[in-house]
Amino acid sequence: MHKVLIIDDSDINLTLIKALVLKLGDCSPTLFDNPLAALEWCRGNDPDLVIVDYMMPDMDGLKFISAFRALHGRNEIPVLMITANDQKDVRYDALLGGANDFLTKPIDRVEFSARARNMLSLRTGQKFLADRAEHLTALVEERTAEIREREKELIFRISRAAEFRDPETGAHIQRMAHYSQIIALGLDLSIAQQKLILESAPMHDVGKIGIPDYILLKPGKLTPEEFEVMKGHSKIGHELLKDSRSEIMKAGAEVAISHHEKYDGSGYPYGLKGHQIPLFGRIVAVADVFDALTSERPYKRAWSLDDACKFLEDGRGKHFDPMCVEAFLAGWEHVLDIRQRFRDEEAPQI
Amino acid sequence: MAGAFVLDKAPILSRLGGDEDIFTMMVDMFLQDLDNNCAALSAALASGDAAVLRREAHTIKGLLATFSDDAGAAEASEVEQLAKQGVLSAEGVAGLLQRLREVASVLNAG
Repeated sequence: MHKVLIIDDSDINLTLIKALVLKLGDCSPTLFDNPLAALEWCRGNDPDLVIVDYMMPDMDGLKFISAFRALHGRNEIPVLMITANDQKDVRYDALLGGANDFLTKPIDRVEFSARARNMLSLRTGQKFLADRAEHLTALVEERTAEIREREKELIFRISRAAEFRDPETGAHIQRMAHYSQIIALGLDLSIAQQKLILESAPMHDVGKIGIPDYILLKPGKLTPEEFEVMKGHSKIGHELLKDSRSEIMKAGAEVAISHHEKYDGSGYPYGLKGHQIPLFGRIVAVADVFDALTSERPYKRAWSLDDACKFLEDGRGKHFDPMCVEAFLAGWEHVLDIRQRFRDEEAPQI
Repeated sequence: MAGAFVLDKAPILSRLGGDEDIFTMMVDMFLQDLDNNCAALSAALASGDAAVLRREAHTIKGLLATFSDDAGAAEASEVEQLAKQGVLSAEGVAGLLQRLREVASVLNAG
């Protein structure tokens, strides 16, 4: 049903136009003999066609059209202006002022029907395009969300691939990723950055794929030479993930190369100091070490929470960025929640 | 002074797409509004406000044109144009008042 707004100060014209509009079929006319009242109605209603007389008291048709067009979202709604046939100059002004077409008085039904139908089919086309655009936008968003989900899953699986050859567990990866998010939150990073570190932190050790089994799986202490090879996992991980177009992969590459750097410059691979170390690397260093300490491994027992916290505090400004340690400890309740949520014996959630 | 008004229903009906109901409705409304329209026209002249008179004359012009009274519409147009230039034509208004009543009586009879 098309909503047709008719504005004319003369009752007889209103009645005539209404009768003609009803003859068009599938139209519901709304009548106003006062343009100001009609404008007020337009604030809350969306007509499909406006038919407005030119010569009216209070506000003429030209002024009405420009006021109507100035309302939000009323730029495209078709407007027919009624003028006497001796008002050519007015018709020019109206065209320039936003009318789509004219009706001349006295109104002729054939002309009226043809012009009104044209305007209504224009409106139908506009609505169709708008619906289609909305539909396509929704579709794109849906598909993009699917791709993002898939990307997240792939990243998790890549991280798991490294783990299969490593005593570390899926639960470790979940915990350290969430700890990293807690630190990002404590540092007042944006929601997007918090999400990015949550999703990229799992890739920190993906370079272990490139470490030979006799070193990676060696039960005892590594020799200095073996440890040098082991340290290579930072660069291998970076090599695997760098230059991606994906923001998550790029962040993962940064985390991989920098998570073993230490705040005082004694870390590897580059011995970067303080803020030379990328922020995500400084964050993940705290999250990863804390979880490694508090987890049981084949070669060691789990540390107590107190001992692990003390280790972090003692490492402020040496191993760790003091701000990151502070942010982690400030989110302590969340840390305990994460430990409960992701336990080693449970199958990791994908 | 225009010649006598003769009701020529054919072109009017043709404009209305041959719809007798709409025609009847419009005749009824014209007759109903007659006194109001005449009063508004007289008041406009009496007010001395050319803009008001211009608008009322314009309305009458449209009204008469609706009933295919080209001669009457031309008279109304003259009053409208004079008013636009700031001239209030008492003679023109008197003519229009007479014309409106004449058209009404023909429509009434028709």
